[in-house]
Amino acid sequence: MAPPPIVSGLSPNEGPPGTRIKIRGENFGSQPSDLIGLTICGVDCLLTAEWKSPNKIIAISGTGKGKGEVIVTTKYGGTGTCNVTFKGYHLTTIGPMKESAVWVEETPLFSWGRHSLSPTSFQQEDPLGLSIEETENKISEDFLINHFPGKCGDITSTNFSPGWFLLENHQNTSFNDLSAGLVHLRRKVQGQKEGQLSFLKANIGSVMDQVDTLVNIWEKYDSDLPKLGNEPTLKLEKAIKESEREARKLFDEVLSRKDRAEKTRNALNVLQRFKFLFCLPCVIERNIRKGEYDIVINDYMRVKNLFHKTDVPIFKDALNEIEKRIEELQKKLHHDLQTMPITVEQQKRLIRYLINLDSPYDAAWDAIKSRSDYINKKFKTIYKYHKSTEKVEMDKKKSSASKFAFNNSQIIEMNTVPSCVNFVDEICATVSEIFPDLWKIGQSYFSGELKVKVEAGRQVEYKHMVMNVIETFCKYIKASIIPNTLDKADRNQFGTLTTPERDEIAHYLPELLRSVRSTYATLIRLDLPNEALDIVGNLLLDLRIHCMSILFQQTTEQIKQLSENWQIQYNGKYMGVTELPIKFLQLVEDVIQIVKESALSCEQRESPLLEKPIAQKELEKQVDCILSAFHGILNNLSSSEDLEDGEDSSPVVSQLIGTPASSQKTGSAKQNIPIWEHRLLIILSNCMFTKNTILDIILTKFKESGFLSVDACITNTKTKLDNLERTILDKYLEQKSDPLVGTIEPSMYLGRFDWDMTVVPTDIRPYAKECINNLINVHSEVTGISSALLDNVLTRIVETIAEELYRLMSCVQKFSKQGAQQARTDIQALQEFFKEYTSDAAKGHFAEALNVVPQLETSEKALVEDVLRQCKGRMRIQLMCLRKT
Amino acid sequence: MSKKPTAQPVIHKVIMVGSGGVGKSALTLQFMYDEFVEDYEPTKADSYRKKILLDGEDVQIDILDTAGQEDYAAIRDNYFRSGEGFLCIFSITEDESFQATQEFREQILRVKNDENIPFLLVGNKCDLEDKRKVTFQEASDRAKQWGVPYVETSAKTREHVDKVFYDLMREIRARKMDENKTSNGRGKDKSKKKKRLCKIL
Repeated sequence: MAPPPIVSGLSPNEGPPGTRIKIRGENFGSQPSDLIGLTICGVDCLLTAEWKSPNKIIAISGTGKGKGEVIVTTKYGGTGTCNVTFKGYHLTTIGPMKESAVWVEETPLFSWGRHSLSPTSFQQEDPLGLSIEETENKISEDFLINHFPGKCGDITSTNFSPGWFLLENHQNTSFNDLSAGLVHLRRKVQGQKEGQLSFLKANIGSVMDQVDTLVNIWEKYDSDLPKLGNEPTLKLEKAIKESEREARKLFDEVLSRKDRAEKTRNALNVLQRFKFLFCLPCVIERNIRKGEYDIVINDYMRVKNLFHKTDVPIFKDALNEIEKRIEELQKKLHHDLQTMPITVEQQKRLIRYLINLDSPYDAAWDAIKSRSDYINKKFKTIYKYHKSTEKVEMDKKKSSASKFAFNNSQIIEMNTVPSCVNFVDEICATVSEIFPDLWKIGQSYFSGELKVKVEAGRQVEYKHMVMNVIETFCKYIKASIIPNTLDKADRNQFGTLTTPERDEIAHYLPELLRSVRSTYATLIRLDLPNEALDIVGNLLLDLRIHCMSILFQQTTEQIKQLSENWQIQYNGKYMGVTELPIKFLQLVEDVIQIVKESALSCEQRESPLLEKPIAQKELEKQVDCILSAFHGILNNLSSSEDLEDGEDSSPVVSQLIGTPASSQKTGSAKQNIPIWEHRLLIILSNCMFTKNTILDIILTKFKESGFLSVDACITNTKTKLDNLERTILDKYLEQKSDPLVGTIEPSMYLGRFDWDMTVVPTDIRPYAKECINNLINVHSEVTGISSALLDNVLTRIVETIAEELYRLMSCVQKFSKQGAQQARTDIQALQEFFKEYTSDAAKGHFAEALNVVPQLETSEKALVEDVLRQCKGRMRIQLMCLRKT
Repeated sequence: MSKKPTAQPVIHKVIMVGSGGVGKSALTLQFMYDEFVEDYEPTKADSYRKKILLDGEDVQIDILDTAGQEDYAAIRDNYFRSGEGFLCIFSITEDESFQATQEFREQILRVKNDENIPFLLVGNKCDLEDKRKVTFQEASDRAKQWGVPYVETSAKTREHVDKVFYDLMREIRARKMDENKTSNGRGKDKSKKKKRLCKIL
């Protein structure tokens, strides 16, 4: 513990309050913080103390009065001692006119003059000379006031009541004592009276002096009277009054100054105290600029809490100023809120700000409305944009169409995506992108997340809004892709983007379907009410049907454009057919695949397409179209003999003169298009192939892909193809058998032959050989295309040959024996050769022909048999040709 | 509490007098706290009290450092009354201050009404020999004339600082002892007084 501080020197050692004192001594601590106490004349002056060194402190004296000690207290030395004294005094001059560093209590200073005159501690002695009682139970003052109204017990008062006095002070004093007191009082009064006289006697000298002085004054007054008039004090009074007024004036000035100072100080205080309020407008502005709305709101709430009930005009002004700022902020926020694009989170935050700011706006609802408006506007913008691009496109198309051939323009079209596709794509993307926000903010509005009171009727209005958006969206899409599903009014409303050509749009439909579906999925994820979803669902259904229909139509179109290249495929899976049916199959398979992948596939909230009767019907119709298209092609090909050039129409069927080989050469010279008969055969082959194989494959494919109701179409087509086949076959036979049969008769009678001849037959006649050769020729031709046709074709030809033979035989007038032998040989040979392709009818004809020929005897028959055997041996190769292996 | 220990030792009350700026406060502070204050700050009235050992006896010295300026001349009477011994200081570098000592001497004698009041004439700033205006002879002549000792001091170098205070205190102590004796027998005191008076005269 350090030694206690000792004060041993003061400079100066006296002074008024506020005197700067150097305090010297010892052990004042080693650093300023060691000084923990300082009193000067008992007044704590630590506040003004300034530690200089361990022996020196400078301090300013307080209001301590009179002599006193200066006591220093240190942290380690404790309270110290003092060897010297400081004398504090108050200069009497300290007052309103005097500068003072400290607060001086003014009241005693101003009343000092009067106070000193008044008897402050005048102790009244009991007038009866009796000791003052120490009574416990004093009579209450109320009681005394009641008994002595208007009186009091104060002996010096004019209302003095002895009764009161006695009751109050001598209630228990005995009568004797009181009598003695009375005697005492009398004596005292007596003494005083006597005392006056003796006092005068004793001081006669000074009394005389006083009298003299009075006389002098009187004389002086008398002499002054003429000079100063009757009222010599008048002037004095005036002067006093004057000075009083002057003093008052002086004082008033001081007072007013003091007032003003006070006011200023008050104002400053107020400013300081409510700095927050007055600075707030600036702060708010700054924070607004910085975007620190939370702080602004916080400040605003605080201010409102503190001052909203204020009646002080300046606060009101400040509040108004703040309100103005806040109002601007509200406007700004409200504007921001409605400025799209904006995220839901941003909007929510803005709404929270606006609510916290007590804005008059129905922020949440406005946000919803603006969103809805925004979506609608966006729709329109997108529509307008695409409408304009469409125009450009159209112009381009027109100009290109005028400049180039149709093919060229198509190429251009393929390169530019049609505007309606772009439009749908974009509108889908837009809805997927911005509609969820509308829904989300609506949800949070109605769920109370935004802390806004939901007004009645809003639910309905909101629902209407959402439905409207969805409906508009759907209608736009419909208008641009499938306008036929809209009423006329809607069609007018939702624009007239021209739907591009079917071929053009077909490429994009699956893609569009995908866009719409993805939007639909987005909407489903949002948990929209079924009512709204159904709208889109219906749109999707329409779109799917449309898509399917268009795709099929496109295929139909493509099928229609298929052309025959007449190149028969000899190897591979399908023999004896050209590419045509395979191409057809491919196209159909492709379209089935595409349709299956796009329209038919079921996604969220979609029913299987083909459950709908409309779709079913549409599908059947389209499949029918496709199949008939192919049928049409085949039909066209089979009937278009003249479509080819005329050169080719020269009779190709071999007479004994011409050969098919030569004509085939000419055919191959012409773009590899084979001759008419070949073509017919090819078509026939294709037809059969289609009927038997392709259609079945297609059917399976359809079934595999989920198209279940196409059986009827296929069967239908099969029937049609059957018919076609028959027609073609007829045509071919007409082409083939007619000339073949026609040659029999001339050849039979070639060289003036007569059945009534006498030459013994050694061989069959040349006409029969020719007939066989011709048939072999046809056989080879058909086999060259497709051996499957052999039965059909050759049987028919053989039939006609047999018929012709019968006709010819029945026309013979007379057979010689040899002639009969010859005829029988011929007929039997033909019968033998054509055995494989002989139908029942042909058999009949052969038999009838044999019947016409006269019967032979056994020996003659042997000859016939012999010739036949020889002939068969010679014509072994021909025979083998016509054998089925 | 603080009074008890201070009350016991004898207190010798010393008063510093002299013109303004001669070094009264400097001497006092040098004596009290061994420090030399360079900067000049006119004094009004400073009190210092310190316990010291005077010839093996615990005493307290109470120093009243007064204002030298003429403005305060009127209130000096009050101070002087309480003084038991005086150090009358002048600066050897300033003749005026030396001349003023005459006036101080007269005032003290008038207030105390005692020719033999303990009194020392002190010529301060003796370190500034080159600026000397008052010769040693001159000063000591005056001291002799008054019947008091003359000492030259330097508050800066502390030369003779302790000496002047201790010398004065010894005189005060001697005088107090005299008075104690005279209070026992008055006659003696009076004769002594007269003797001294005669001597001076």
